[in-house]
Amino acid sequence: MTSKHKIIFQPEGKRGEFEEGTTILDAAREVGVDIEAICGGKLTCGKCQVIIEQGMENLSPVTDDEKRLLDKRKAGKNYRLACVTKFYGDVVVYVPEESRGGEQIILKEGVELSVAINPAVKKYYLELPKPHLKDDLGDFERVLAALKEDYKIENVEIDYEVLKKMPDVLRDADWKVTVSIWNDREIIDIQPGYRVEESYGLAVDIGTTTVVGYLTDLRTGKVLAVDSMMNPQVTYGEDVMSRITYAMQYEDGLEKLNEKIVDGLNKILENVCREAGISTDEVSEMTVVGNTGMHHIFLKINPQHIAIAPYVPALHRSHDVKARDLGLNITKGGYVHVLPIEAGWVGADNVAVLIATEPYNQDEMCLVIDIGTNGEIVLGNKEKLVSCSAAAGPALEGAHIKHGMRAATGAIEKIRIDPETLEPEYRTIGNAPPRGICGSGIIDAAAELYRAGIVKKNGRFNLDLDSPRVREVDGNPEYVIAWADETAIGHDIVMTQKDIREIQLAKGAMCAGAHILMKELGVEHVDRVIVAGAFGNYIDKMSALIIGLVPDVPVERIESVGNAAGVGARIALISREKREEANRIARNVEHIKLAVHPSFEKEFSMAMYFPHMDKKRYPGHKEILELRGAE
Amino acid sequence: MDEEKRKDILERLKNGVVEFDEDMVREAAQEALDVGMDALDAIMNGLVAGMEEVGELFDKGEYFVPEVLMCADALYAGLDILKPHVKKEDIKVSGQVVIGVVEGDVHDIGKNLVKMMFEVAGFEVIDLGKDVPLEKFVEESLNANADIVALSAMMTTTMLGMPKVIEMIREKNPNAKILIGGAPVSKESAEKWGADGWAPDATNAVKEAINMVRGLKKEVMGEE
Ligand code: B12
Ligand code: FES
Repeated sequence: MTSKHKIIFQPEGKRGEFEEGTTILDAAREVGVDIEAICGGKLTCGKCQVIIEQGMENLSPVTDDEKRLLDKRKAGKNYRLACVTKFYGDVVVYVPEESRGGEQIILKEGVELSVAINPAVKKYYLELPKPHLKDDLGDFERVLAALKEDYKIENVEIDYEVLKKMPDVLRDADWKVTVSIWNDREIIDIQPGYRVEESYGLAVDIGTTTVVGYLTDLRTGKVLAVDSMMNPQVTYGEDVMSRITYAMQYEDGLEKLNEKIVDGLNKILENVCREAGISTDEVSEMTVVGNTGMHHIFLKINPQHIAIAPYVPALHRSHDVKARDLGLNITKGGYVHVLPIEAGWVGADNVAVLIATEPYNQDEMCLVIDIGTNGEIVLGNKEKLVSCSAAAGPALEGAHIKHGMRAATGAIEKIRIDPETLEPEYRTIGNAPPRGICGSGIIDAAAELYRAGIVKKNGRFNLDLDSPRVREVDGNPEYVIAWADETAIGHDIVMTQKDIREIQLAKGAMCAGAHILMKELGVEHVDRVIVAGAFGNYIDKMSALIIGLVPDVPVERIESVGNAAGVGARIALISREKREEANRIARNVEHIKLAVHPSFEKEFSMAMYFPHMDKKRYPGHKEILELRGAE
Repeated sequence: MDEEKRKDILERLKNGVVEFDEDMVREAAQEALDVGMDALDAIMNGLVAGMEEVGELFDKGEYFVPEVLMCADALYAGLDILKPHVKKEDIKVSGQVVIGVVEGDVHDIGKNLVKMMFEVAGFEVIDLGKDVPLEKFVEESLNANADIVALSAMMTTTMLGMPKVIEMIREKNPNAKILIGGAPVSKESAEKWGADGWAPDATNAVKEAINMVRGLKKEVMGEE
């Protein structure tokens, strides 16, 4: 009769009693301690290291193979591999940080978030018994048997392309292979040898203007390489609507637009893989976010119906599609996971922002706002979330503004105007002579013109001022920010009355959207404003408050979280729970249709004033002006 | 009723509209009725005169969308009180207009401004609202025997419905004149699609309409 022995796992202190000769790994699993054992105890990975605190003498002896692995991993004294080490007496085992399963990644770009790593694609190392006349099980069945035996994985299918190459891979690799399994149910790749630690995915944010790809290590969540490019569809139109129009007008329109983005993504894939020193078919999954228009075009779904009332998308929930069906060059059997859509124009990009910022877990009333063409806004906390899209248009990014330009060298990005002298001070990107004004400069200009009294609260220029910079050209008032001889373009850079009107329309739509959401939830103020979108990083928060682009809130309660949509795509890549959360959130956010909202017109008119026609809604405005004055 | 009182009330109606003071307009309108003033006089020389000034201020850039929308509210506040008291036979209609935002488009703020300016200019307006099915423009223009069909679109996608409506109307109601507008619609597209008129904003829309109706009357009466 064998006796039982006690084992204690530190630092958690979990314990149990086991039969003599049990492996430490089995005991750990039994008592619920998570030890990483990614090769499944085949003495290949060396990940299952533990430190023996007491009872060194009660263990099975170290074999050559174990020693080799421990050395390779540069393990210290008292280290053993849990998968092969058996105990024959009481022991106390310490599980070091790096051997613990259920790893978390802390994201710190803009958002700070910790996510438990649980990617959809997981890799398993198998050493299969060679078939012979008495064991003539089929190759696939052989793999299935090993998966069940070693990893307790059952009910998996196999991708046809993988099936085709499997017999050769198995034999060439001498029956030692790594299989990639997607969502515990389909083998999407088979590679020779031990490849468990090389598991990659690509997270993609398809913006109307910019496309970014993040090559990510699926086992750690770390970004290995990033690449971005202008959305190659721009040749077919600047904004989503004009691209959809293109798709509607030409028979092969959708095809062309789709081809552009697929080519672009393949290029990004190539670039990041080159940088990381891997080949593109080692990438086993992709996640994609984008606004509803980009989403449809990427999936080659006719986008016409989302462009026309009642703005119904082809589907709301997330969707998985074989990458090869879309012409993407990741591993042949790999999938693309496209995140869900909330409603009409509140798309997968917004859902990604939500899973990255988690307003639905907060006590505070959070306003998440994407200052961009589509202007998606979400308000709420753990009780409830409401959303709308406010279609501000691209004015705040420089379009339709006389001297508006993209954020590039020579763009005026910051402006201050002295209220006494009405003289400006500005800064350009790269300190180059100015060529135009970019988004952040445009918002600054509006705020400063208003603060200096050059533009009245209703947006009208005040022409009774004694300054050569405030002038009228053909009956149109304007303010000269830079005289011709300072510039790189040889003529004055100005902000015109019409520019101010465009800004009023754009900011009015966003601000009205936010206030309508506040009314819907019955709140008079918000606690936090989270500005998403790369553009948000550059906006001067004080200027945004001065013109009333966002609701009244203390300036320090405005946070820019950068490209949170991209972060959301990365999170979805490494966490199946977050994918589910995304679907749940997308369903539960209540979408407010501004188009049929009875008070939109009124709210919109009021919100076009600087900062707002209803001053009571901006109780902190005076203080902000003073703060700016004291800068 | 003495002339001075009339002038005073008209002035208040007008200023109430221009300064978008709904209360001032309501009070003055009520007083006009109380002192037995002619309702049409109050409308035309008070409210409408005010709105005409608003149109000028808008043209000059002094006023923008929010002010015009609020002036419109003030105007309608006055009209609500005065209109029921206008004698039917006094109404001179400059023309019959059917207006709406084309199918798939929900942007109706611009259309509402255009509609209001039409009403101010004495047109009778049938407002089909927003997201109007294309065939409905044809039907309603026939039902109402409209002089003018005014189409509004704010998106590059939905404006593609305009040439379709134009074609349908040409076929079934060749007498109607078609006026189109909205931010993405240009003079060139209006010409390309065969519309009779285009205007960049509400005040010009009315000017264009008046020209079109004149042209229409001439055609009908066989003038040169
Ligand atoms: C306000 C607004 C909205 C409001 C509309 C509310 C309403 N009841 O109308 C809301 C928020 C609901 C909205 C929604 C959408 N919008 Co929107 N919206 C705007 C915005 C900010 C202002 C439009 C406006 O009211 N202007 C003021 C009015 C007074 O001007 P106007 O309409 O041009 O009218 C004047 C003239 O054009 C002319 N006119 C107009 N009609 C007619 C007709 C005739 C016969 C004539 C002669 C003249 C004439 O006279 C008018 C007065 O002078 C513009 C962006 C911008 N900066 O312009 C986007 C914009 C029009 N929207 C846009 C889009 C795409 C949408 C959405 C489909 C998607 C989205 N991103 O949200 C949704 C609709 C779906 C939904 N979610 O409900 C796009 C269209 C892009 C394109 N290429 O087509 C724009 C340009 C913004 C952008 N670039 O993304 N929007
Ligand atoms: S689990 Fe891989 S070596 Fe122990």
